[in-house]
Amino acid sequence: MLTFWGSKQDFCDGISRRNFLQIGAFGAGVTLADMLRSKAQAAAPGRAQATRLKSAVMIYLPGGPSHMDMYDLKPDAPREFKGEFNPIDTNVPGVRICEHFPLQARMWDKLACIRSIVSVDEHSDSLVLTGKSQRENMTANHPSFGSVVSRVRGNTTDVPPFVSLRGMSRGTEPGFLGINHRPFTPNGPGVDNLRPQTAVNTERLGDRRNMLEAFDGVRRDIDNNVAGYDAFTQRAFDMISAGVVRNALDLNREPQESRRRYERVEQFLTARRLVEAGVGCVTLSIGGWDTHGRNFDTLRRQLPQVDKGVSLLVNDLHDRGLLNDTVVVMWGEFGRTPRVNNNAGRDHWAPVMSAMVAGGGMRMGQAIGASTARGERPQDRRYTVPQVLSTLYRAMGIDPSQTFLNGAGRPIHIVDDREPVRELI
Amino acid sequence: MKYTIPQIGLALVIAVGVSRADEPAPQTTPAIKLPAPAAIKQLQVEPAAVKLIGADDSRQLIVTGIVQTGSLHDLTGDVKYETTNANVVSITPAGRVLPLANGSATITARYGDKAITVQVTAESQDVDLPINFANHVVPIFTKLGCNGGGCHGKSGGQNGFALSLLGFVPEFDYQTLVKENRGRRLFPASPDHSLLLLKASGTVAHAGGKRMDVGSDEYKMVRRWIASGTPVGSASDPTIQKITIFPDHRIITRNNRQQFAVHAHYSDGSVVDVTQRAQYESNDPDIAVVDGTGLVRTLEMSGEAAIMARYQAQVATFRATVPLGEKLPGYEFQPKTVVDRFTHKKWQELGIMPSELCSDETFVRRVYHDITGTLPTPQQVNAFRSDKNPNKREALVDALLDTPEYSFLFANKWADVLRVKRGNQQNQTRAFGTFAFHNWIRESIARDKPYDQFVREIIGAIGDETKSPPTMWFRDLQKPEQFVDDACQLFLGVRMACAQCHHHPYEKWSQDDYWGMAAFFAQIGRKNVPTPGVSVQNRNQQRQVIFNRGTGSVRNTRTQQNAVMKALDADEVKLAPGEDPRHRLVDWMVEPKNPFFAKAVANRYFAHFFGKGLVDPVDDMRVTNPPSNPELLDALAKELIDNQFSLKHLIKVLCKSRTYQLSAVPNEFNKNDKKAFARYYPRRMAAEVLYDAVSQVTGSPAQFAGLPTDKFAPNRALMLPDESFSSYFLDVFGRPQRISACECERVAEANLAQALHLLNSAEIQNKLARGNGRADQLAKDPRPDAEKVEELFLWAFARRPSEAQMRVALDNIQRNMSNKRIAYENILWALVNTKEFILVQ
Repeated sequence: MLTFWGSKQDFCDGISRRNFLQIGAFGAGVTLADMLRSKAQAAAPGRAQATRLKSAVMIYLPGGPSHMDMYDLKPDAPREFKGEFNPIDTNVPGVRICEHFPLQARMWDKLACIRSIVSVDEHSDSLVLTGKSQRENMTANHPSFGSVVSRVRGNTTDVPPFVSLRGMSRGTEPGFLGINHRPFTPNGPGVDNLRPQTAVNTERLGDRRNMLEAFDGVRRDIDNNVAGYDAFTQRAFDMISAGVVRNALDLNREPQESRRRYERVEQFLTARRLVEAGVGCVTLSIGGWDTHGRNFDTLRRQLPQVDKGVSLLVNDLHDRGLLNDTVVVMWGEFGRTPRVNNNAGRDHWAPVMSAMVAGGGMRMGQAIGASTARGERPQDRRYTVPQVLSTLYRAMGIDPSQTFLNGAGRPIHIVDDREPVRELI
Repeated sequence: MKYTIPQIGLALVIAVGVSRADEPAPQTTPAIKLPAPAAIKQLQVEPAAVKLIGADDSRQLIVTGIVQTGSLHDLTGDVKYETTNANVVSITPAGRVLPLANGSATITARYGDKAITVQVTAESQDVDLPINFANHVVPIFTKLGCNGGGCHGKSGGQNGFALSLLGFVPEFDYQTLVKENRGRRLFPASPDHSLLLLKASGTVAHAGGKRMDVGSDEYKMVRRWIASGTPVGSASDPTIQKITIFPDHRIITRNNRQQFAVHAHYSDGSVVDVTQRAQYESNDPDIAVVDGTGLVRTLEMSGEAAIMARYQAQVATFRATVPLGEKLPGYEFQPKTVVDRFTHKKWQELGIMPSELCSDETFVRRVYHDITGTLPTPQQVNAFRSDKNPNKREALVDALLDTPEYSFLFANKWADVLRVKRGNQQNQTRAFGTFAFHNWIRESIARDKPYDQFVREIIGAIGDETKSPPTMWFRDLQKPEQFVDDACQLFLGVRMACAQCHHHPYEKWSQDDYWGMAAFFAQIGRKNVPTPGVSVQNRNQQRQVIFNRGTGSVRNTRTQQNAVMKALDADEVKLAPGEDPRHRLVDWMVEPKNPFFAKAVANRYFAHFFGKGLVDPVDDMRVTNPPSNPELLDALAKELIDNQFSLKHLIKVLCKSRTYQLSAVPNEFNKNDKKAFARYYPRRMAAEVLYDAVSQVTGSPAQFAGLPTDKFAPNRALMLPDESFSSYFLDVFGRPQRISACECERVAEANLAQALHLLNSAEIQNKLARGNGRADQLAKDPRPDAEKVEELFLWAFARRPSEAQMRVALDNIQRNMSNKRIAYENILWALVNTKEFILVQ
């Protein structure tokens, strides 16, 4: 039965409709009827504009990276605030970033940052990946960005719509969207199942398939899902032999030269290969940024690594013509105290943080918003994390005002606070 | 249900077009077969006389032909209308009467040689009747979709212009239109230049497109309202009481149509025809669709559809029963329980025929699965087959209800929706409580604790989890609102969540109803019991005592007053001093006349055994989502009430019915049936059940980390008390995380990752190859191979292999004579990967 709920929604701005019909190999289950329905729908003239499927790479810097030592340096602040690093010019006049980000500085026309985001003091990826803090999510169970992508995507390919390279965390949970929209995590059974079993050689597998066909006594007319099961079985065998996902995860298939370029930041290479294979959302995390002590020593080590990973990823996506269709964001859970503490560290600071964004057809080559002179609070263009996420959803072609039903049958907006970051549009 | 692509495309076009009265519905249906005038015994018209007051009034006539056979045929759009005075009234070919001037006239509807007349009088045509904003203007925004949840009706509005959702709060809309932004939206001096009209008519750019034509009825009404100085109406103006639909139910042939009329009843006793102004939606667009004028079209499929009408926060439904209309061969159907009486009646209405009785093999596998969550062993299958008792099926149902497996299966089902969960790592110490609560549920089920008592002990729980395990329910739920959402959805089958913030869009429930329910949960007290050695800050390590504070209230967010304690459609509750309001709520729930409680659980259990609820989804009972068989649901509720809420009795009524024993194989007449239960609807085994079945068939019992490994430890997934035991298998097959009270959290759909896991995982391969597992044992077993293959088929399918299947299996054994275990692994692998294995039919 088609329920009344959501069976017809009028969206004013023409972004997307009828996303509740799902075709997904890894994520949402699909019946043959759905598949046909969705095809017919796509064929219906004058219906939903065919938007190109876009992807997202969400880079999470766990621990809360120091905003004042990365994208929001304050060279004129008193010494105990300024810290040990100096800004350098980028290739965009007027935008200066940390001296340990030379690679990004050279390509700032392809990047942008927001320096005036307010956050919450919580060691969790919940807010930046779901739009709700961990505390709110105790009851709200809001889905991860990637799970929403998985839900919305009319994915007909054999790749998972959402891959988490950082395993499971609150921020990667599907929440009320249900277990079908969990990320594919390339470890454990999820990826092992894509590899032919060593105990079962080709001949034996052939034997097994023959018997499978001979044994099945189910009549096709008892249920229209029956054909769907056969389709899945067929596709599963194809995947085991063709291995699109397995190959995307197998860095040995990358040319030597490019593996060398990505040395020590291989995650970024994996992310790029997954995007190329058609994955909708990849999350990854790098480093540890909870620098209560020895902030500058840690950052001297980690910043060049991040710089290398991000610049390679964005440049490669650009060279492959994928950058406009891929949204990239990098941020952590909060900023760090503007005043350096006695241990040459900085502590948690939620009133302001920065984020780096790229791609997705957004306007690049800028630094949006500003914090106060000592980097303590947003000075102008104050933005919230949900507003930034809302902007990213739009760049993905997803209407952030769209609703999905939670378990209580209540329609929940993808993002509540969805005034976008105007400068990026 | 079989789709062809063109049909779907067309159905979608209709679904999109329904909300706009001005778009003609596309001609998708074959020409309607009209009865010959000679076949018509008599014409009927409703209403018999029409009185039109004011220029905005109109009336939809419903002309019905009574055919010689007694059946009714809608002729509203097929008769020829004539009027005696074309200056006074006009009538459209669709039967809508419109006034032109004061006076009276007679309208005649002719169908061949048959005719019927209607007296029409029109008055007050020369005066502008006073406008009431809520009654006359707001419904226009709803009809045109302006205040829908996707547009200006969403919280915060659209592009700076916010209306209340579906016009539920006219005062807010008035404020927005007239006062906000210094009145820029309306221009009484020149109404046509009001931004509201310019935008809505598409005269200036409007992201939502053109919603009304200049000069349309809607345009004229809004224009007149602006021109007359944007009146809000008078306090003494009538308010809406209800809406009704005429007719509210019809049996309509396939590829036919039916006009209906919607009437709004006001507090002053007046009745207004709002057929053109109400909003419509069909709950099954495969069977019937509706356009914006209340014209229903039935399609190629037979079945039942409900058409919802909404007007000014009121809802009503029109039910269309669409019989197959083909001649049935005679068939035998002996009713056994109350279920059969009403399913059979429904099949007769729909003109469909039930499938055959299923075989003993099918039945034994089905009933073991449905009552115990396990598959029968070969011994059990053989014993059942050779049993000569004519009532052996009934006897098996009785026997299975006394097994421990029954209590584990249903404990798992209830634990899902009662949130028996440990949650994230920080809550690991909740384990004591989750084990206790799970065990409490299981014992209640095993002892067949009356369901009303079961619910009372949960909702009214006091104490801590050592004394009263149901207090665990109060761990995840904290706020009164959460209790309303969960308790209503779980025990009443009603989703109230919408009404927390605004009037329920598909029901009569208002915010007052919502907060009235919340008030029952406003006095829950919580206290942590200090445990030696545990820091007081560590709330999760503390034992929590739930008690009745004897005081406390919630704030109704609409009135900003303390909410009046009141159950749905019931009187206000006055508490005696010290009385626990939660018990007063349960008192109301368990009364025999409560319209929700018994039905909700009857429907939930029906869905378990028949694959789909009479109301579907199971916990969404509402006027606009009527049961597919209301009489059956009422009868099941009565069975429960008359038998002290015994759930075992309910299961017996369901499983001993002839309907439950139907084969899944469809016949020519019921192949499209999806809610009349004229055949058994096959379904996939649930995650835990499938896991246990694979373990059972491969002879490889489960082990879960974090549990003891002795022989008394839970060795089946169904025995697990909470969700915290990690298993890729269970996750990928849709085990819920228990974060809501909705059964929908359990995923029943198939997906590719499941296929991959069954076909190609190390987990399955290890189970197949386990030392002393089924394959290993059979390889060593000296019995003839054919006997052993037969045993495997009995394990997996509860049936014997066909000759061809036996040959294929023996052939494989032949080729692996040196290592028979390989062959038995292969056979087992093939068996568990078949659809026949994972489906229950």
